This record gives sequence, structure tokens and C-alpha cells, in this order.
Amino acid sequence: MSVNTMGSALRLDGPEKVVGRAAYGPDLVRPGMLHARLLRSLVPHGRILAIDTSAAARLPGVRAVLTAADVPDVRFGGLINDVPLLARDKVRYQGEPIAVVAAVSPEVAAEALSLIDVQIEELPLVDDPEQAMRPDAPLIHEAWASYTAAPHVEREGNICAHTTIARGDLEAAFAAADLVVEERYATAMVHQGYLEPRAALAEATPDGRITVWSTTQLPFLIREQLAAILGVPVGRVRVIATTIGGGFGGKLRILLEPYCALLALRTGRPVRMVMSVEEELVADAPRAASITAVRSAVARDGRILGRQVRVIFDCGAYAGSGPAIASVGALVALGPYRVPAVRIDAYGVYTNKANTGSYRAPGAPQVNFAIESHMDEIARRLGIDPLELRLRNVLEEGDQAANGQVVRGVSIREVLRRAAEAIGWGEPSAPTESPSLRRGKGLACAWWTTTQGASTAYVRANEDGSVVLVTGCAEIGTGAITAGVPQLVAERLGIDPSSVIVVSADTDATPYDYGAQGSRSLYMVGLAAVRAADDLAEKLLRLAAEQLEVAPADLELRQGAARVRGAPERAIPLGELVKVAMKQGGPPIGTGALSGVVTEYDDHCVRHSTYPAFHEPSFAAHAAEVEVDVETGQVRVLRYVAAHDVGHVVNPLGIIGQIEGGVAQGLGQALSEQIVMADGGVVNPNLAGYRLPSAVNVPRIESITVTSPSAHGPLGVKGVGEPPIIPPGATIANAIRAATGARIHALPMTPERVLQAIDEAGKEPA
Amino acid sequence: MGYPVTLRVNGVDHELEIGADETLLHVLRYRLGLTGTKENCLKGECGVCTVLLDGASVYSCLVLAVMAQGREITTVEGLARAGGLSDLQAAFLRHGAVQCGYCTPGMLLAAEALLTQLPCPTEAELRQGLSGNLCRCTGYGRIVEAVLEVARLRQDERAERQG
Repeated sequence: MSVNTMGSALRLDGPEKVVGRAAYGPDLVRPGMLHARLLRSLVPHGRILAIDTSAAARLPGVRAVLTAADVPDVRFGGLINDVPLLARDKVRYQGEPIAVVAAVSPEVAAEALSLIDVQIEELPLVDDPEQAMRPDAPLIHEAWASYTAAPHVEREGNICAHTTIARGDLEAAFAAADLVVEERYATAMVHQGYLEPRAALAEATPDGRITVWSTTQLPFLIREQLAAILGVPVGRVRVIATTIGGGFGGKLRILLEPYCALLALRTGRPVRMVMSVEEELVADAPRAASITAVRSAVARDGRILGRQVRVIFDCGAYAGSGPAIASVGALVALGPYRVPAVRIDAYGVYTNKANTGSYRAPGAPQVNFAIESHMDEIARRLGIDPLELRLRNVLEEGDQAANGQVVRGVSIREVLRRAAEAIGWGEPSAPTESPSLRRGKGLACAWWTTTQGASTAYVRANEDGSVVLVTGCAEIGTGAITAGVPQLVAERLGIDPSSVIVVSADTDATPYDYGAQGSRSLYMVGLAAVRAADDLAEKLLRLAAEQLEVAPADLELRQGAARVRGAPERAIPLGELVKVAMKQGGPPIGTGALSGVVTEYDDHCVRHSTYPAFHEPSFAAHAAEVEVDVETGQVRVLRYVAAHDVGHVVNPLGIIGQIEGGVAQGLGQALSEQIVMADGGVVNPNLAGYRLPSAVNVPRIESITVTSPSAHGPLGVKGVGEPPIIPPGATIANAIRAATGARIHALPMTPERVLQAIDEAGKEPA
Repeated sequence: MGYPVTLRVNGVDHELEIGADETLLHVLRYRLGLTGTKENCLKGECGVCTVLLDGASVYSCLVLAVMAQGREITTVEGLARAGGLSDLQAAFLRHGAVQCGYCTPGMLLAAEALLTQLPCPTEAELRQGLSGNLCRCTGYGRIVEAVLEVARLRQDERAERQG
């Protein structure tokens, strides 16, 4: 069954965006609104001795100043409740909120911050995660044992997560190996780089409730956590997601909303807070830096006999998504490969840095960079083609992965083949203009999940034949909610997708959804919406059957009407059916609800994981040709191809958008982006120093879609939002290796790093 | 509290009292309620605040509003033709060049200014010309396709008119 391809360029939210009418977080204003700003610690680790806010409170135009003493003494967080609203006894990272001010303008609020006096006694800085793991390291959270956490999280001292995957006889594998390759890789902290700064606006409503507008990807999670912080039942809180100017996982979790809510309740006025770019880069949930040690036992013919991996994610001062990232990172470490014996240890570690969070495929680009660079090294040492080496080890349909899950819809060979073909694998690069320019090709592959999580949708029709889709999931820019899902609904109801009206992401008005995360939106909301559409269709056809005096089974919904099969001119338009229904109590409403698949895994193999299996896994392979200037270390990406198994193509432009955008972010992480820290402080908290790729930095990207349908997704869809960001690091690293002979072990591969690696490669014996 | 200034925005004159240190971005968004022009870095490093002054693209966060008096200011709200979208706006939608949309107003105006200066850019010239407008969602591919198509269509129109 195909989908109405007229929807290919459909974006229901497109017109408002191109004319500048879409209302993003920073665009919202409410009458009498106050502006809030946070006072942030300048010290990365210290004991708070005293805070004096009296001068700030007296400043004309200031309406409230709050410190820890003025707010609920609660801790909240991602998977571990370790975050205080405002620093109470300690500060744990440079940038940690200590006080918050509400004033009549942002300028007055900023001035008030400068009048707050804070005395902090500095404590030893813990900024190396490997040092932080040592038993004698200073504790970042002295009371860590008293914190509550999600089930399955294993933690101790500065270690906030430890997931393990163990299977088979690792010792025997290493004993039997013809070659053992042991390497170490590292990646830097990077930021999601959304162009809309995070924002929230809270207003206490006359009925005693509080409404919060937020640039959040998860309005229902914000509602739950905010209600808990305020100590009220969830029904007292309404959260509405604004149009979001990019999220990429960075806007999942609660951050500004509690301050706005508490200040709104305190002052009786609406309160808005907008982060600055500096605050985003200093203090707002970037992707964790990582260290991966990998050791493989390999047979002469290239089969991986066993693999041991130790990944350390530097989570910063608060765990954030740390335990989930460790869990997922462990699965990424397996790769889409059959490895009979494995031992994976994935850690999350506290340090005195900004609390890290989720960013598109959390944990994956870091570990994939290590594993796929490592595969390439194994290939080179054995003298086997890197593509061939992978093909000798990839999962086959029905295989059991090391976590015990049975893998279906396996398309890894197909995506590898397509990517290799598109880049001209095996064909030499064209000669370069100068001897200092070297060209080479590299490839890398990955597997990923389609996150499940509950979703409910309603669909109802209007008297003019238009249809309203109501979902709790926010449209975050991918088009899943304003293009893909409406297309699916339109197909079921026999209408044009442009007649679908979307109401979304309002915890009062829309039903529950687990949220725009984990590549789940099109799949899960699509399933719920299709069920709702089918439910509505059944009701409409029953009505039509009465009117036309036929059996419902003789009718179908096509071209905006209920029509008799085989005699389509005998029809009642949808709108007319709705008018009939109005006299019977109102237009019918279709409902669909589901929680998604449960993926079986082996809980003897996977321990202490909050994400033990990949649901409806997808597969991807990227290939690139680069040109390296061995005198300057600059890398130019000449060609880039990305092959992705999307299960089924619903919206081609939507898929291309995710692939091109994800690859661009991946290239940024690979070549230029890093949050640089020194002495516990961020050195480059601005967009001049934190280099996001511009139009001259991203090549044309060739997107290839492969369709190996998921078992349960709508029309066989698999998630594609996250996977494109996973392989670029290793793809480029492998291409640089091919071009220059130099293996780079750390991201980003800046010109300095490239030159250093070339230099070192030149010193190695041939 | 400030200087009496008349600002001509999208062909409409606005009489305001503006402080010497108020940026054009601030005046557009908070004094005139034209929130189509976006705010982010507030220091000329991202491009979302791009507007046109007499047809040339500028970062409105780096322009003092008082300096814009006597100039034609064009924001994204001034692009649409009566009853429809501009050719660039329509092309952005057709090519999937709009995802989250936050860079879109600035990008549209930067593209408009570029095509005025350079009606037939090569892809490399186009990418260079748009390198002052960051986009984090699209990877630029669809944006480049949209603008190149509009350049071709405008060129065809010019040829027709001359022919």
C-alpha cells in the first residue's frame, strides 16, 4: 500500500513558518510579563558560605529574588533525582544556578544579578572522569546514596551509572585469537546547537492552576515533574509546547519551567525566561564527552571472536540522561555484528562540569566512532578490505544479538552495499591538484532503535470535511506530526492531507504521548493516529450505511466521501455525514491508544540497564570521500552518501531532511565542534568559538533509503530521526585514514589533530 | 525617554521614541510586535535576526535602531506578495527547506539580498553567500536547492521579458 504522494511537500506548519507567524518560545508575551534571569556560579566546585540578595531585592523594577531558602527543598532529574532547584550547600559546576530574579525587564534583571553577593569556599576540581571514578576521588554528591533513582540504575559515589552486557567466554576468545587489537578513543562535549534558545513562560490562572508555555519536546514529562516540584497534583499544572526552534533532545527535560512557575506564583504576574547562547553552552545539557577502550579478539579471516569494551561517559555535575546513555551506549558498542563473546562496561560518571543531557542518538556517535574506527583498524592490520571485514561479521536475520534479543528486519548488508556502491568503493579517487592533497574513502555502519512509549490520539471530522488530529506529541521540526502522521490519517480517511488540522502538545487539550524523542514520533503517533482514524472511519461508515441503506462493508472512504464500492457516484461527503451526526449527539470521534512493542532480551546478559534492547532496529551505512591537506590538516568532504533503512517511505522529503540534517550535525561533531573546558570553565561559550557548520562546511549529501519493514510500525515504518548522526565521525575518520595513513583517536578531528596524527603515522615503522 | 524616530518597515512608517542603545532587532520584536525576525546570539554570530536595509542584508542585532531612520527596512513579514507567498517562500516549502523554521526568516532575507546582488550564483557562491546564516536542522541541502531553483526561474522570467 502506498501513501498519497501528493503529501510529499506537505508541511502543515510550513506556511506560518515562512511568513514569520509561527510563535516560538522567545516570541511569547503576556500582559504584565516579568523577565527572569538566573545567577550562575562562577566557581566549578565549592561550598556556599553565604548569599546576600538584599541589594538586588531593593533595585527598582525587581519584583522577586529567590535562593534555595525560598524554594521547595526537592531534588529532581532525568533518571536520578540529584538536581536541586537552586544550589543549596554546594555548587558543582561553573554555571550552576544559585539564585533567580524576576524584574520588569531583562536589563533590570541582569543588573540585579550583579548586586547579589555570594561567598563560596572552593573545593578541589574534579574534571577528569577517570580520576573521578577512583575510590579516593572527592565526592561530587556526598549524599548520593540518599537520592532516589529509576529502576535498574547502578551507582556508587561518583559513578552514576554502570551497565554491563556479558555473553560467551571472553577468555577463550582471546586465547584463540590470531590477532588482538586494543585501542582507545575519545570524543568531546558537544552541544545540540538549536538556534532557538530555550524558553519558558509561566502564568498563574484565576482558577488556582498554573499554565506553562515551554520550548519542550516532552510536555507531559514537564507537567509531571513540575507538579512534583510544586507539590501539587498533576491536574493543577498545564503545559503547552510552543513551536520549537530545534530540540534534538536538548529540550527534553525540565529546566526553566520551575523557576518561571515559582516566580509567577510569588509575584502574581506572568514570568518569562529565555536562555542566552552563553548559558546554553555553559550550562545546558550538552552531549557527554566519552572515553572508549576497546579490545578485540580476531581470527585471521576477519571474524571477531570476542570483544571487550569499556565506555566512560562524562555526565557532568548531575546525571541527566546519564544512566540511559550508558545503557544505550552499551548496545551501540555491540554494533550490528555477531560477536560470540562480549563484555561491555558502560559507565556514567559525575564531574564538575555542566550536567549533560540527551542529544540525537544519545551515547551513539561517541561509541560508534570508537567501534567503527576500530573495525577499520582491524581490517587494515589483517589486510582485509574494511567493507569486506564488516560483511564477514554482520548480523543476519533472526540472529540473537549479545543482549539476547532476536534481531529481525536486518538490512545491514543492503545498506552497506548501497553506500559502498554510491561512493564507488574500491575505485581509486581522482588525482589531486597538488602533492600535499590526499584523497581517500571511508565507510562506517550502525544500528539503532525505534523507541516505543505510550501514545493516544483522537481524530474527528468537521462539517466541511476537514479532519482534526489531536496528539500529545510536539512537532519539533522533523515534520512527523505536521506531515507524516497527517498523511497516514488522510490515507485511512480518503481525504487530502492538506485537510488535516493538527492540535498538539497541550496537557489539557491533547491526550498523553511519551514525547518527541527516540525516533518514535512517526512510528508511535502514526500507529495511534491510524487506529483513531480507523475507529472514526468505522463510525462514519456506519452512519453512511444507514443513510445509503447498504451494509457498512459495502462502503469505503475515498476522495472525501463514503462511497459504495464499485459504484462510487453513490456517495455521501464526509462533511454531510458529520452534519447528520450533529443531530445525533455530535460528530463522531475516533480514538487510538497503544504502548508499543516489548522486545525480549536476556536479563542474565544485560545488567543494570534502563534501555536493554533496541526496538524494531534500523540499520545505516555511510561512506565518504575526503581530501586532506597534509600541510594544514584541513579536511574537505568531497562526497558523502548515507544509506538508511527507514522501513517504509511515508514522506520522502521528511526522510531526506532527517538524513541531511543529522549528517550535518555528525560532521560538525566529527570535524569542528567541541565545548572546550579549562579549570572547570567553558572557554568558548559563543558561536564564534563553538563552530557550528555553515553552508560552506556541509557538502551535498546523497541520501539512499532502504526499506526493510518493521514488524509493527505503520506501513512498516522505522524511526529515522536519530540514526543519521551516528556514523559520520567514524566515516570521516576512516576516510582520513585511507587518504593519509593516519588514524585519529579523538573527536573533533581539527586540523591540529589531523596534523599530529599524520606526524605520528609518519614516525611509525611501515 | 529617547529619540523621536520614524522607521519605515515593510513600506509602513512607524513613529517611535527609541533609546540610543536599542537595537533594530529589539525595536522590531518588542516595540512593533514583529516577531518574525528571530533572536538568538544577539551578537552577529548566527544570522537568525537578518533583515534588509535598502535591500542589503544586515544583522538587526548589530544595527542601532536610530541608525535605520530613512532606510527601507524589510522583514520576513514584508516578503509575501498580496494574496500569496514570495517565490522564495514557496520554493522553500516545495523543497522541504523548512524544518523547525527558526532560521527561515533570516535565511529567506539573506537569499533575497544575495539574488539581488548576484542573480545567477553558482552553488559555491550561493553557499558562501548564505554562510552567515546558520541552520541546524536541514544541513543546507534543501535550502540550496530552493534558492538555486528560484534563481533559475527568475532568470527565465527575465529572459522572457527581454525576448
